[in-house]
Amino acid sequence: MEAMSVTFARTVDDACAALAEHPGALLLAGGTDLMVGVNRGQVRFADVVVLDRVDELRGWRREGDEIVLGAGLTYAEMGRGELPALVPALAQASRTVGSPQIRNAGTLGGNVATSSPAGDTLPVLAALDATIDLRSAQGARRLAIGEFVTGVKQNALEPGELIEAVRVPVLDGPQEFLKVGTRNAMVISVVSLALVVDRSGRNVRVGLGSVSPVPLRPADAEAHIAGCIDWDTGSAPDAAAVHRFAALVAGAARPIDDHRGTAAYRSHAVGVLARRALLRAFPGGAS
Amino acid sequence: MSEQLGQPGITSTSILGNPVLRREDDTLVRGQGRFVGNVPLEGALHVQFVRSTAAHGTIGSIEVDDALAMPGVVAVYTAADLGLDDRPVLMGFYPAEMARPFLARDRVRFVGEPIAVVVAETQYQAADAAETVWADIEPLPPVLGLSDALDGENLLFPDVGHNVAFRNSVEDPFDFSGYEVVVTENIVNSRVAAVSIEPRVVAAGIEDGRLTCWASSQGAHNFRKAVTDLLGIEGEDLRVFVQDIGGGFGAKGVTSEEEVMVVHLARKLGRTVRWTETRTENLTGHVHGRAQEQKVTIAGTSDGDIQAYRLDMLQDCGAYPRFGAFLPEFTRQMASGVYDIERVEVEYTSVVTTTTPVCAYRGAGRPEATAAIERAVDLYAAEIGMDPAEVRRRNLPASSAFPFTNATGTVYDSGEYEMVLDAALEASDYTGLRAEQQRRRDAGDNRQMGIGICVYVEITGFGGSEYGEVSLQADGTVLAVTGSTPIGTGHLTTWAMIVADRLGVPLEAVTVFHGDTDRVPSGQLTGGSRSVQIAGSSMGDAADKLVDLARDAAADLLEAAPDDLVLDRGRGAFHVAGTPSASRSWAEIASEAAEPLVGLSDFVQAGATFPFGAHIAVVEVDTETGQTTVERIVAVDDAGVIVNPLLAAGQVHGGLAQGIAQALLEEVRFDEDGNPQTSNLADYPAISMMEVPSYERSFTETPTPLNPLGAKGIGEAGSIGSTAAVQSAVVDALAPFGIRHLDMPLTPERIWSALQASGA
Repeated sequence: MEAMSVTFARTVDDACAALAEHPGALLLAGGTDLMVGVNRGQVRFADVVVLDRVDELRGWRREGDEIVLGAGLTYAEMGRGELPALVPALAQASRTVGSPQIRNAGTLGGNVATSSPAGDTLPVLAALDATIDLRSAQGARRLAIGEFVTGVKQNALEPGELIEAVRVPVLDGPQEFLKVGTRNAMVISVVSLALVVDRSGRNVRVGLGSVSPVPLRPADAEAHIAGCIDWDTGSAPDAAAVHRFAALVAGAARPIDDHRGTAAYRSHAVGVLARRALLRAFPGGAS
Repeated sequence: MSEQLGQPGITSTSILGNPVLRREDDTLVRGQGRFVGNVPLEGALHVQFVRSTAAHGTIGSIEVDDALAMPGVVAVYTAADLGLDDRPVLMGFYPAEMARPFLARDRVRFVGEPIAVVVAETQYQAADAAETVWADIEPLPPVLGLSDALDGENLLFPDVGHNVAFRNSVEDPFDFSGYEVVVTENIVNSRVAAVSIEPRVVAAGIEDGRLTCWASSQGAHNFRKAVTDLLGIEGEDLRVFVQDIGGGFGAKGVTSEEEVMVVHLARKLGRTVRWTETRTENLTGHVHGRAQEQKVTIAGTSDGDIQAYRLDMLQDCGAYPRFGAFLPEFTRQMASGVYDIERVEVEYTSVVTTTTPVCAYRGAGRPEATAAIERAVDLYAAEIGMDPAEVRRRNLPASSAFPFTNATGTVYDSGEYEMVLDAALEASDYTGLRAEQQRRRDAGDNRQMGIGICVYVEITGFGGSEYGEVSLQADGTVLAVTGSTPIGTGHLTTWAMIVADRLGVPLEAVTVFHGDTDRVPSGQLTGGSRSVQIAGSSMGDAADKLVDLARDAAADLLEAAPDDLVLDRGRGAFHVAGTPSASRSWAEIASEAAEPLVGLSDFVQAGATFPFGAHIAVVEVDTETGQTTVERIVAVDDAGVIVNPLLAAGQVHGGLAQGIAQALLEEVRFDEDGNPQTSNLADYPAISMMEVPSYERSFTETPTPLNPLGAKGIGEAGSIGSTAAVQSAVVDALAPFGIRHLDMPLTPERIWSALQASGA
């Protein structure tokens, strides 16, 4: 058997250099997705570049109205400190991932790079219009989350490229993340939904998970509800508006049947989640 | 037998009945448990099985040359050169042609069936080599549905001519047409997995010139007998150790084919070998439980007198009939549950399918009986418009009726069924719950409340004996040796309490020994909730025998007649009656004895005991998503006299969780080709703390006359009552939508679909 190479990168430049040398190398951070595939024999590889010792990828910082989240930020880190107040939906989503052990190991960059329809942070990033900072030995580029994820476990990452950071805005308004799974903890989502309110932009943005190959934005539902809210008073939309919103969200979903749930249930459930998330964001509304 | 333990006047300071903390936990929480995977075995080889990825097919050839050439590989075997005859069917009950080859021979019958075995220097080498074994399998149609299996169009064992492993037929079925009210329903008791934290693991080798095995089994002696019978060697030629085991739940009660093969490989190779299965192997290759399709027919008057009940069962045995094929017989014996019903008849057929074999799982046949009769009683209550609690009360036998013979001939030893029902109704504020339920129904609330009641009875102990030896050591401490095998439920604590109580010595003075077939002459399986009532009673009996021997020894030392001596259990000393100052303590007797005094039990329990109880589940069903939340579980359990209420409560807690799990979450599923769909714990939703409420539970104590402790078994009861109670509660919540029955597991999707179908 051929020997495999393992590079322990210490800097982003190290990692990019190693990737330039081995463009087909696997990137290993928390390993919570990758090792499942490796152990099942579904992922074959000759070279590995290990990212969890790269300090530049860790933690997060604020740049004006934007938060720059390092690709190595763990789920546990997303849920503690000041971050939950700044990006509440991301913190909520991170707390639904796996067990404490998984949350200590799994990273934001890994969740984005895996690009699974069930990835728990992806609906949040979609709703927030996040951008993804990519780096390679050739340079840097930035893609919108919608441009980055291109299909089921497919994305725009080029050989030799890695995710350096994820940028999300700090918004003025409530945020919610809701998820349906086969039990209340340690589950892969059957459907998930993130809803963020941007008062200054006067819009409500929604990201849907597990109901299409890529994280989905129900544009009609967003446009509808933005027009039903009195942004000057912030009062809750009326019952008819809420129901219409839920129906538009359900209608936007393009789910499939699989062993975790049927398409019919997913469409229905995501509508229920939409209504509940909206009513939490605008308490006092009629259900 | 001697006097009742804990009887007033015998010992005022008894430790029995106290919530003594588990003595096991100190070593376990320090990570010092003695599990098979941790046994240091110098130079042990590793075993990896190659498993079928087809549910059904004929095997052309199996290519192993590439595997043999891999680094570290010591041996690769298939059925052709393994050198083991097929494993005969259980006790000759089933068609002999349904014998199971250790490695699939000519035909595979389920995904996960071993077809080859690789032995290598390391676990990773073994796994890599196993990947290169290639089997040419010509697919055959899978046999999945039980009706299809019964039709016999496709056969697993063509030589048999059908797929039926076992059946019980009623010669002259009775006619239901004359009854005022008759209700029928088809019920699926879903297939579930035991999911012990520690999957199967076994090691074997030649130690001091003897074949020695370290097993994770529910019975060291049963394991030894299974292995030595199948390998054709004498029992004494194999030494089996069973130390700590990480859960069994019945699934580790039968020695599996893989475990037998590992011992065989150790003999064949003359090397120490070890096998640890993965979770996926455990979920697909080890045994499953339940898996019954039932049809209930219940008949009675319009004012609540149940007069007749019929239960028809189709039991899924999986690919090879073992204990699973026999499960419906236990269901038959308990078919009428707690109720006094004049006419009961039961028919069942056990069929083979191209799926993982089914075996015993917590309750084994009795939860299936309870689920069926409790659903039937609810359906009958709904039909006549009577409160389900009231219908139950009207059909319970009076406490004066015990011992009570049920309509299928099973004799219940003791019971106070109305007492536990009333206690549970009162503790739950049943009237208040019904009022709140009505309020929500009237309001059209999207959080509907459901209330489910289950009054259960189950069989435990099944009679018989257990090896028990209690001896006084030279240093004054006590060694208690049992043939039983603790499986993580705190028996080391319980048994030590019983011995300490009988002798009047501190708990710390008692050491319990188990799990070495060289040291312990015989032993029975830990199963059927027998290890407190039977093994515990044998411990007490052996301690009594030791007291007799010690009394004689003390009499010699005190120059008194033995009959004049009394044991002061508070002081742990014998003295002449009326003269406490002239005494000999256990330590003094020990130091004077020429050899250890040994008490041996000859206790035999004449029959089974029948614990019972009432569980009330309160659930909230979100009618928009179909999500069920278990709000309350009120459990009143009666397992006779409780030796350690803390450990007994622990058994109930775990059982309640497993019952909720089957009712709401867990189900083993296969796709239309027979591929497992639930082969890991992401897809098989084993229950977590997030799904269970804080339990409201209590014990009542109705002693059994069948053993001196007065104890019945508590190991399985929790899962028997709660499963039916939670299922009934969900159906009750959905009653306003015209839903009268839904099968387990009651997932959000299943509930939502039913609501959709009802037009809600």
